[in-house]
Amino acid sequence: MPLALNLLHEELREQRQRKRDPLKISMMVGIGIAALLALNYLWGGYKLLELKSKLSAAEREWAKVEPKVSQAQKRAEELTTTINATKVLDDIAENRFYWAPLLSQIAHCVTPNIQLTSLEGGADEDKGVTLSMEGTAAGREPRAVAEDFRQMLIEQVGKDRSETKVEFKTLEDLDTAIAVSGANMPTAHFNLTVSFNPYPKKVEKAAPARKKREQQE
Amino acid sequence: MSKEHIKKLFLGGIGLLVLLYVYFTFFMGPLNASRAGTEAKIAEVQGKTASSKAELAKTARLEENARAAVARNKDLRALSPEGAPIAWFPPRIRTFLNSQKIDKAAVRLEANTPPKEKELEKWGRYAWIVDIPQAEFETLGRAVAGLENAEPLLAITRLRIGPGPVATTEFQQVSLSTSVLIDQK
Repeated sequence: MPLALNLLHEELREQRQRKRDPLKISMMVGIGIAALLALNYLWGGYKLLELKSKLSAAEREWAKVEPKVSQAQKRAEELTTTINATKVLDDIAENRFYWAPLLSQIAHCVTPNIQLTSLEGGADEDKGVTLSMEGTAAGREPRAVAEDFRQMLIEQVGKDRSETKVEFKTLEDLDTAIAVSGANMPTAHFNLTVSFNPYPKKVEKAAPARKKREQQE
Repeated sequence: MSKEHIKKLFLGGIGLLVLLYVYFTFFMGPLNASRAGTEAKIAEVQGKTASSKAELAKTARLEENARAAVARNKDLRALSPEGAPIAWFPPRIRTFLNSQKIDKAAVRLEANTPPKEKELEKWGRYAWIVDIPQAEFETLGRAVAGLENAEPLLAITRLRIGPGPVATTEFQQVSLSTSVLIDQK
């Protein structure tokens, strides 16, 4: 083994110690970490800028849509109001009581030996239709003629309507006689009332709510 | 490792901790907050835009479906001309009855109330009385049928047929109470 002479060992030791200086190492590690953190920060900033541009694009789109939406909302409101109003108007028009068919049915019941002197009636959504008729019946049995008229009214008026009531309020024999087909016949004065309800029942609408309430109880 | 080295390492560690604290508190903190805020705002704006687009589509669909209702509404509103109803309704009814061979009818306004249906806030309910001094029963029946068909918003609420001032079996005196829905223009 060759013999080596180290005359600078002190200087070399110092040099080695300087290289292993923990402060220097930690400074280098610190600088490395700081560089990584700075890169991360820059990356975050870049991502943020990307998000900001996305936001401004979304806002531009919203600015384009917004006026149309407020117009559309106004229009939808208008259309809904129109639809609802039309529905209600159609319901009113469809559910009103038509007098012409009733008058026609009454005309069909009036035979030559019946004379109506007055007819008065009213149609009310809550009370239904009530009709009062006054007249004279003539025949060998005037009361029977009046009763036949009542039966015909029940048959004709009640044909398409349930719960039709036709009742005599008064039925009195009269002293006067009327000529029917050339022969004098005794007469009777009558006062009839006709009642029925042609309107759709309102209870149907309230029924589901009541059922629900009953279930809850 | 000398005491000097340990001291330096300790100081370096403290420096590193300070650096991390400063970085996360003063740099990354605001950056993350700003990013979260922006993301939330984007979500909000995109949500608003999406719901608005859905609303636009819904309105377009409604527009399509409401075509019949709008036309029907227009027709019903067209039954009420411009101007005060008292000015045009009585002549209209008189003209109609004349066309049905019923003369000398008098039409008068009895009441004017707002309809009870909240959907009809732009409409008014007018009660009119139509007095017909003389009419034959069959002619009257045809006229009533015609009136009910021609005026969908007219409902006869009361009808009275009685003997006229001149007692005849052919002609009767008639009074009709009607309720008419009129568009308040």
